[in-house]
Amino acid sequence: MSAPMEIILSTDSGAQLWNCAVFELHSGTNLLSYRGGNTSARSLTVLNGEYILGAQLGKNFINVWEIQRKDQLQQKIVCPGIVTCLTASPNGLYLVAGISESIYLWEVSTGNLLAILSRHYQDLTCLRFTDDSSHFVSGGKDNLALIWSLASVVQLDPSHSPEPRHVLSRHSLPITDIHCGLMGPQARVATASLDQTVKLWEISSGELLLSVLFDVGIMSVTLDPCEYYLFCGGSDGGIFQVSLCSQNLGRDKTFQSDSNGNQVFKGHRNLVTCLSVSMDGTLLVSGSQDDTVKLWDIQSKQSIRSINHKGPITNAVIIPAPANMFLPDSRPSIPLPQFSRHLNHADQMEGLETGGMLLRLGPQPQAHEDSYLKKADTLYSLMSAVTDKSVFGEGENTKVRVSELEEEMRTLKRINKDLYDFSTQFLIKPHS
Amino acid sequence: MAKSKKKRQHDFQKVKLKVGKTKPKANNATNTNFRTKGIHLTEQLKRDESGLTTHRKLSIQDLLSQLHHYSGSVKQSALVGLKELLTLHPSQLEEHLSRLLSEVAAVFTDKDANVRLAATRLLRFISQCVPADRAAPFFPLLSAHLSCAMTHIEAGIQEDAMKVLDVLLEHYPALLAARPALLLTNFLELISHRRSGGGARKGQEAKGSSWSLSVNPNRALTGQQWRLTVLLRLGRFLQAVVEERPVEEGNAPGPTEGLFGASGEGGLTPLDLNWEELTYSKAGVQVYENSGAKPAPHSTFKLRPEVDPGTGVGEELGSPEAVQSFAATLVPLLLEVWVEASTNDSPWGASDNSHLLTQDTMTLMYQVLTILQLLRRLAPQKEHQDTLDAWFRNEYLGHFKQHFMKNFPYGAQDAPRFKRKVDLKRSKQLPVIPGATVEPLALNVMLCQVMVSLSQRQGHDQEPDADWLMPLRAFVKETLSSGAKLSNRYLHTLLDTVWKMVLTQKSRAVTEDLLLAVNVYYQQRNLNLQTRTLLLSFYSRLYLQEQGHAHIARSKMLGRWLAALPVQLAQLGHRNPALSSHLLLAMQAAASRGNKDLLNSLQANACRLYDPQEGSVVLLPADSQQRLVQLLYFLPAMSQALLANLSRCCTAGRISAGLAASLIRIIHLRSSLSGWAAGTQEVALHDVDYISFLFSTLTGFSSDELATLQEAGDDSVLPPSPLSPLSLYPTPLEQFTHHWDVVEEVCHCLESLGSRSQCFDILQNGVCNYLSSLVVVPDSMAAGLLRAVARLLDLSFLPSETLLRFLSHCCLSLLSLLGTLQQDAPSDTNHKREAIWGACVSALSSVPRLLRLVLQSLHVGDLCEEELPQLGQILSMLLQHAALRNHLLPNSTLLQHVIQDLTRYCRGETREQWLTDLLYCYSVTMASHRGNVALRDIY
Repeated sequence: MSAPMEIILSTDSGAQLWNCAVFELHSGTNLLSYRGGNTSARSLTVLNGEYILGAQLGKNFINVWEIQRKDQLQQKIVCPGIVTCLTASPNGLYLVAGISESIYLWEVSTGNLLAILSRHYQDLTCLRFTDDSSHFVSGGKDNLALIWSLASVVQLDPSHSPEPRHVLSRHSLPITDIHCGLMGPQARVATASLDQTVKLWEISSGELLLSVLFDVGIMSVTLDPCEYYLFCGGSDGGIFQVSLCSQNLGRDKTFQSDSNGNQVFKGHRNLVTCLSVSMDGTLLVSGSQDDTVKLWDIQSKQSIRSINHKGPITNAVIIPAPANMFLPDSRPSIPLPQFSRHLNHADQMEGLETGGMLLRLGPQPQAHEDSYLKKADTLYSLMSAVTDKSVFGEGENTKVRVSELEEEMRTLKRINKDLYDFSTQFLIKPHS
Repeated sequence: MAKSKKKRQHDFQKVKLKVGKTKPKANNATNTNFRTKGIHLTEQLKRDESGLTTHRKLSIQDLLSQLHHYSGSVKQSALVGLKELLTLHPSQLEEHLSRLLSEVAAVFTDKDANVRLAATRLLRFISQCVPADRAAPFFPLLSAHLSCAMTHIEAGIQEDAMKVLDVLLEHYPALLAARPALLLTNFLELISHRRSGGGARKGQEAKGSSWSLSVNPNRALTGQQWRLTVLLRLGRFLQAVVEERPVEEGNAPGPTEGLFGASGEGGLTPLDLNWEELTYSKAGVQVYENSGAKPAPHSTFKLRPEVDPGTGVGEELGSPEAVQSFAATLVPLLLEVWVEASTNDSPWGASDNSHLLTQDTMTLMYQVLTILQLLRRLAPQKEHQDTLDAWFRNEYLGHFKQHFMKNFPYGAQDAPRFKRKVDLKRSKQLPVIPGATVEPLALNVMLCQVMVSLSQRQGHDQEPDADWLMPLRAFVKETLSSGAKLSNRYLHTLLDTVWKMVLTQKSRAVTEDLLLAVNVYYQQRNLNLQTRTLLLSFYSRLYLQEQGHAHIARSKMLGRWLAALPVQLAQLGHRNPALSSHLLLAMQAAASRGNKDLLNSLQANACRLYDPQEGSVVLLPADSQQRLVQLLYFLPAMSQALLANLSRCCTAGRISAGLAASLIRIIHLRSSLSGWAAGTQEVALHDVDYISFLFSTLTGFSSDELATLQEAGDDSVLPPSPLSPLSLYPTPLEQFTHHWDVVEEVCHCLESLGSRSQCFDILQNGVCNYLSSLVVVPDSMAAGLLRAVARLLDLSFLPSETLLRFLSHCCLSLLSLLGTLQQDAPSDTNHKREAIWGACVSALSSVPRLLRLVLQSLHVGDLCEEELPQLGQILSMLLQHAALRNHLLPNSTLLQHVIQDLTRYCRGETREQWLTDLLYCYSVTMASHRGNVALRDIY
């Protein structure tokens, strides 16, 4: 059997059989299951393709499995409070958790707690990263969704408390789910709320693009990879499909009266808690409180398969299969460090004592020089400007500029890799 | 013969004249009582070939050429004629606009004052007719002539140039503001002159001392008045520059308008869609077409290099340095003006009343402050604003403190009587100062604003500003809490000042002090809506700012204000929906942040707000109702009384069915049974209360209403009969549909409670205890119950006898009601009939033994003649329904019995149509059954 391309990860709150199960997307066969504890909603995440992390329901720790060792918990990360939502950045460098009203941000390579962001007024419900890990979006029960720039959060002088880049405050009841589209900082974000609306925003400007009012509260939302359709899981068990681009193909109109794409997937009997679309945009996975995960064909809106669980579904997501998952004798490339529970301003001293080196890019030593992250930021903005220009036809010389910048990017990447190699070899080895 | 003679005598009758009597008029006398008037032909009768002329038959060509005449009066009459011609024939304006403007502009600098006056009038007329975009190509010419006039050596021409500027500012502010460079220097030159010595060493002394105020003794006006006229224009001009600047940030601080308004809308207008519209509309959504493929202009990402500066706003004020250098020239001049004015005013140097000013001085000072305020806002970008403020502070704080703050709370001098006359006379010759009367309050308020903008955030190494802010604060406090009515503009400025003080002075005592003053103002009785809204938005914005400002967050005044909101809302009732919606917005923001003060107060007042009779939730318009319902989510606990009120709200029909459904859903979410609980939020209500809420919403009628129904006379309810064992109370159609929708939602909530059988058990107990003894039942309740039972019944659960009997009675009564409904108004009650029929059918088919009970209760013998066809109709309806047919078959003996009875009782007459139909249906059903059985036997 060839290794599956895409898999469904699902957890339920009952967790009698397993904590987290892995299903093959097309056949629905149960490939693996991870045992021990159970996982709360919107808190299952895959770190770097090597670890699976899930916050324990109602307890203050996070379960960690190595992705190939399904039976054994690798570690329990003990947190200062009950974790309500959790996500890892797609590049595997940062881990973000919502613990009551605050967002905790850890650096994965060292386990340091980099920041505690307390801008929400009530419990957090959802955290999502953009695909390039440059921003993340947090939603809470205080009706707010905040867009944070990772660079500005990670790097700051202690005197300034980090500010979100945008505050999305047009919902009138708690946010239930957030989906981040593709394209990094130019992506669109969909937020679902109990106020029966789903809103679509632009990350770059924080502007509201679209607001759709439904008849029921919306518990989950997702976009397909092309962002043609918006899928919204209702609290009555319906999944609503909103077409974001109307394809006015005159030929088809006469045949299908309702070809405008706004339709309902009916089948669940209770809250639809999670939704996810496959990579090719043909299959939709939904998890519901009626203890089933259903797989839908988007084109025909039929339920293809229903996978029964032993409790309300808390997470169901389609991800590309990590390479290590089916190789029992593989090892993660980096061991996970101990995650600290406190902001490490205090234990910088301690780090010096043990002979460890702390590579924090601080603004203090060279006040005038931009830090690397800032440089990368400006470089990125230049790159975006260039792509922007080339996409919208701004002349020839931009291509030259592109190649120059690509060259620079390559050197930067090389330097970065060297730095990383150095740190993994010399800084982390002694610990493990 | 004699006859003809007589005739002749008749012809020539003699008139006898008598003395003392008026002489009768002769027949041929001429009537002379008319009057004559002369006809003057002042013009020639010749016509211009185009036909478009003034009343003097002068065409536009003639008039324009007359403008070059040496004589002033000819020019003036030509200008008057032009105005007349253009009024008569507006088409001429478009044809000759270019020449017209150039000729008119040329006489701005005419020596004759009358000509200039006429030219200004004509210009005013033209600019009224020509929109800015069409005037744009001629504007360089106009402004060149304007500069000429402004810098003219003759004082009169300079003065009149101000009037021209007025016209242009009024009609083309954008065009004028597009190139501010030249005009600004002109302004400076009007009131000052460049020091010849200073120009050389400008580099060393950049503090603008190269300019000094000038006084022209030849002027008709005093130096002060002249300066006032110039400064007034300068202020307006700067205002235009500031306003025409492309807006960069929605929340630029300090704009006099809309600071606390409902701004914050971005440049994009989001699409607002409704799911139902979406499903049925043909047009699709075009999100990305709406937003554009490029990032929005409001993006904080700078994806492109900045476009080269100086294209939009003029060359001079495009950069912060330029603004700064301009300010460096202007501010010393302004200070000089100020000093001169204040010393003029109190020449005797008496310190006790040096804060009393005359009207003119006050106006002048006010202008000075206005210009200072505008200068601050000239900064091209928001980030430059701060640097500009810091620069101002560094350079001029000392001067400002010294001059402005010395006599700070200024008052008006009581002008002695004899002076008044002179003033009046003088003001007649001064047409220049329109609306120039400035109250001392305005001056003081403006001064506060200017000074406070200079104050700095504390915590750095700067010395605290408390010493000079103290009198300002005292003034603001006093003004607000004095109880006097303030005009909206002053109040706005004052609030702005308070806002800045609160943000910069990070002390809790100051905040409390100021907010207390605002609160005193807020507590006043009859504020108008606008003021109220302003204050409200001030408070709510302050509240929204609290993050990171502990002194605001902990402010007791703010907490008290929040706590008062629910009371205010309840007191307001339906009187002012706009204000209510403002209150609601603030409440929602606070509730979503879990503010304890607000939530406790909300909880205390919840029963009043959600009263089904006169609570705000039923009185306010729909969107406010929705907000109120959403507020429920944040309530920490819901009492039984509140739930009872809410249940009545849902069923009484004063809120829409959709809103009622979302209300039920919100309560569902807050109960422990919903299962949606991210995080640790304690449940707001007990399960018992929740279920009784659902049950009373399901019944739709309170126990009192049901009790009165039992005793109601026969006129309102349908009487019971053997066919309908319960007497039904027919609810109005609207109420029925509303209740039906609510029932659907309640059923959904009940379904998702978890264990079906327990849930049904509770429902059954409820029905048995409270409803089964009823004799009169509303039809909506009966239908709703049947629907709920059918949806909730678990096959493993056996319903009790009492419930089944009650249900069968309901069912039979409804079926007979259906028959009567079908007879009278078929079209209106279509929805109702379908709903009732659906409920009956689903209950009959899903609840075991219900059908049998219904059939058993058909006692044909007890029916009278008229009811027989009704029964027949019911039976044939049941038989025709495919889903029911299978359930009828096990009861075929009962059915057969009923039908036999029926045929027996109708034997007297000829067989009627309905009986034939019924028998046919029956035989078909039985035959198909037998066929099936036969088929089954075969295989």
